[in-house]
Amino acid sequence: MIAASYDVVVIGGGPAGLAAALAAKKEGAGVLLIEREARLGGILKQCIHDGFGLVRFGEKLSGPEYAHRFIEPLLETDVDIATLTFVTGIEKQQGSYAITLVSREGINMTLAKSIVLACGCRERTSRQIGIHGRHCAGIFTAGAAQYYTNILGKLPARRCVILGSGDIGLIMARRLTLEGAEVIGVYEAKPTASGLMRNIYQCLEDFDIPLHTGKTVTRVFGDGRLEAVEISDVDDQMNPIAGTEETIQCDTLILSVGLIPANELAENLGIPLDPRTKGPVADQNCMTLQQGVFCCGNALHVNDLVDYVSESGETAGREAARFVPGERIFAELKADDSILYIVPQKLNLLDLSAPAVIYFRSASERGKTSLTVTAGSKQVYTKTFTVLRPPEMERIEIDFSGAGLKPGDSIEFSLAEDQ
Amino acid sequence: MSYLSKLNKRLNERYDGRVHATVQNGCLHLSGELPDWQEIVRAGHMAVDKKRFIGLVNDIRLEGQQIPPMRLPDLSDDALEGARPDVLVIGGGVTGCAIARELMRYRIGVLLVEKEHDVAMHASGRNDGMVHPGIDLRKGQTKKKYNDLGNSMYDTVCAELGVPFRRIGQYLCFYKTWMKPVIRASQFYWKRMHIPVRYMSSKELLRHEPNLNDEIRCALHFPTAGIVCPYGLTIAYAENAVDNGARLSLDTAVLDMEVAEGRIISVLTNRGRVYPKLVINAAGVFSEEIAKLAQDHFYSIHPRKGTNMILDKKSAYMVKTIASPINSDKRKEAHTKGGGIVRTVDGNLLVGPNAVETCERENFETNRESIQKIIAKHKKTSPALSDRDIITYFTGVRAATYEEDFIVTFGKFTENIIHAAGIQSPGLTAAPAIAVEVAAIAARYLGAGRNDSFNPIRKPIARTAEMTVEERNDMIKRDPAYGVIICRCEEVSLGEIRDALHRSVPCDTVDGVKRRVRPGMGRCQGGFCGPQVAQIIAGELGIPLEQVRKAGCEGNLLLGSNKEAI
Repeated sequence: MIAASYDVVVIGGGPAGLAAALAAKKEGAGVLLIEREARLGGILKQCIHDGFGLVRFGEKLSGPEYAHRFIEPLLETDVDIATLTFVTGIEKQQGSYAITLVSREGINMTLAKSIVLACGCRERTSRQIGIHGRHCAGIFTAGAAQYYTNILGKLPARRCVILGSGDIGLIMARRLTLEGAEVIGVYEAKPTASGLMRNIYQCLEDFDIPLHTGKTVTRVFGDGRLEAVEISDVDDQMNPIAGTEETIQCDTLILSVGLIPANELAENLGIPLDPRTKGPVADQNCMTLQQGVFCCGNALHVNDLVDYVSESGETAGREAARFVPGERIFAELKADDSILYIVPQKLNLLDLSAPAVIYFRSASERGKTSLTVTAGSKQVYTKTFTVLRPPEMERIEIDFSGAGLKPGDSIEFSLAEDQ
Repeated sequence: MSYLSKLNKRLNERYDGRVHATVQNGCLHLSGELPDWQEIVRAGHMAVDKKRFIGLVNDIRLEGQQIPPMRLPDLSDDALEGARPDVLVIGGGVTGCAIARELMRYRIGVLLVEKEHDVAMHASGRNDGMVHPGIDLRKGQTKKKYNDLGNSMYDTVCAELGVPFRRIGQYLCFYKTWMKPVIRASQFYWKRMHIPVRYMSSKELLRHEPNLNDEIRCALHFPTAGIVCPYGLTIAYAENAVDNGARLSLDTAVLDMEVAEGRIISVLTNRGRVYPKLVINAAGVFSEEIAKLAQDHFYSIHPRKGTNMILDKKSAYMVKTIASPINSDKRKEAHTKGGGIVRTVDGNLLVGPNAVETCERENFETNRESIQKIIAKHKKTSPALSDRDIITYFTGVRAATYEEDFIVTFGKFTENIIHAAGIQSPGLTAAPAIAVEVAAIAARYLGAGRNDSFNPIRKPIARTAEMTVEERNDMIKRDPAYGVIICRCEEVSLGEIRDALHRSVPCDTVDGVKRRVRPGMGRCQGGFCGPQVAQIIAGELGIPLEQVRKAGCEGNLLLGSNKEAI
């Protein structure tokens, strides 16, 4: 049963939303958690491989196990959980948000003082990366292939090519091999792999699956089912080089070419997005530029480890529960070209009681490197890293309380080779 | 010198004796061999003369290259063996399906055959969905007649068939200041052609379409232009035909015909031999093949492909109607109305199409270059247009004749065939009018009376996302499946998908469901809902999941169970 109003409504029952709902409840808030599928856990439900929870629990858990570390305590609470429920609209009203929900019971409306967007992310498709040729069966995103294999127990491929070296693609290379499919190779347009190093070793090298960098799929062939793909070398601008085409016979092409935060609800609310993360611009408390709307997990920016998804979910849930409408005064967190992106993008100067948790990714692979954070001409933070790779997100904590920041100040983040 | 000898002289000069023209039974025939398809098409356009001849038959062979034959269904049975329909309609595009439906207004037994696994699989499912005002048509053209009439029928037809149609109008944009008086004066030309038009200053244009290029100096507004979902309309026509008693046979290709004394006696398909009284040829790019089998070969089809792309709904703010550049390509061969940026009925932007001659009638491949060219061309109209917003793209193949006009007529040499052929653009606009006329002449031929029990109304599939709260609650109360959202991008419910699977035109593929109720049409392109739709199909139709296909034959999604091959 959905009540007429809540302190906090969390949209999305994956790892971010689960952590947010629990954290909001811990603060004593009245909480509703909305999930559009029949079961909680989000994409973790289909991630039957291990490696989840190393940071948080010091254990290697499978996706469903990790999710249950949150689902079980959540079910002990009085948080209202609405599954098979879909948000069709959010409208800002005086001092609250009116949320319209559709479910098997019909259309429901509920009011929330604050909202946590925890809708996760979606996969880039074959059309978004400009794959051409016939539109035949046998082209799947890695997530869809994973659903077929792990949830339905069905094999989407017999002989496949994987394009993109994102983590799900690497995981699926191993998974399909174990289920009896032949993985011809993983092809990556970029000069380096996009996935975690541990997945390169455990999923490709251990199974003798070759990784080809600097190559992409330029064309697909096949009338009904895919019959072959054309692979070409690419230049530094990622454009295919004519004359380098080779054709590989295969029945399946699996794409792991990037994830994009699912931000339809944020867009509809007119919340500004960061073009670098493609998620909402947020402050250190995961609040977007819309008062009372929080965002966390992969909806905020795409994470490589679920542990950090849960962490931002907890921040968003806790702060949503504590939310009181009021002015925020921002300093800007800015990164130069050495950094792919930084989250948060804003620092609320009225709330510097705790150190700010900051996530960033290096724009390129680096050896020993120093991160320097400056405000005005003053250096406020520095840290040395032995290795930085774009696929591996870094997390740091900075205490800005003594930095003497003024409204509108820029806090500059930069990486430089360590001398 | 006669036209023929003059033509042969010109052909000789250009093709060095490799191409020869003759007149046979009032038709102009080209024969010979050339190494380049573009030249074969050029020779056809060079030779064509609509006034002197019944038609142009271009039999010039392509040297050293096999033109791919018609793809045939895998199926082979005798489901149709011995069938004796009054009318056999060949081709389940919008023309064939509309004709089948209009025939049901008479007491006529109709068999509609389509070689693909669904209707609207070729040009009718692969175009821009524009209902044209008739900007580039000329007096005396068959297509002008049917376009004008068809356009005026759209509101009624779409209301009857429950198909969304919006008469949103089209802006034709001009960039040269000196053209302003010419454009202003040109209004009178269109008015004389009975096409409503209005001159608009750039200021007024930008008031209606604020995101167009402010370098546009003036525009012409054609208020009768509209948009429709072309495959949605075709499916609706087919369903209404079947609801009224027409027999539809999918996966059915015409392989041969038995013709004697100027009459088609029987038609051989992969599903048996059929004995129709009358054959209607609405076979699109294959209508010439049907004409040959019917021994009524008086025209040729030169396929012309075009690519369109669909942009994310978030870019839809750029154009609210249809915005087209004036076709800058002055060459006579540039047979495209220049395309445009079109706000579709579903709220996306569609950009395209281009036009490329091809010998491959069923090659729906897309390529990078076309996409880049189309974006570059239309970026001029709306500068914010970006390839980053593309969510999908597709290619269709137009069935053009060398006369570049429609053929809607009884056979010239065979008595019991009606051709509805050469239906390229604006075939979608013209379809309702062609269908009414073809049905009327067919009824006259057969001496058939009116069918008083004909019901023109088709009940559409509910679209819960567009309902009011009360309507939606009612719907969900009756069937809770309408409250379960399967496709998050397009907000499609389980109830809608189930409905699509149990209608009078069979649907059992993921693409079939997608074309009817749109799961997978959004920005994630079925990444999330694809596997769920496959499960629903398997469950509803009682088939194993492995047998669910993406589209037609052999397009299975899954190749077995885990560890099966180990």
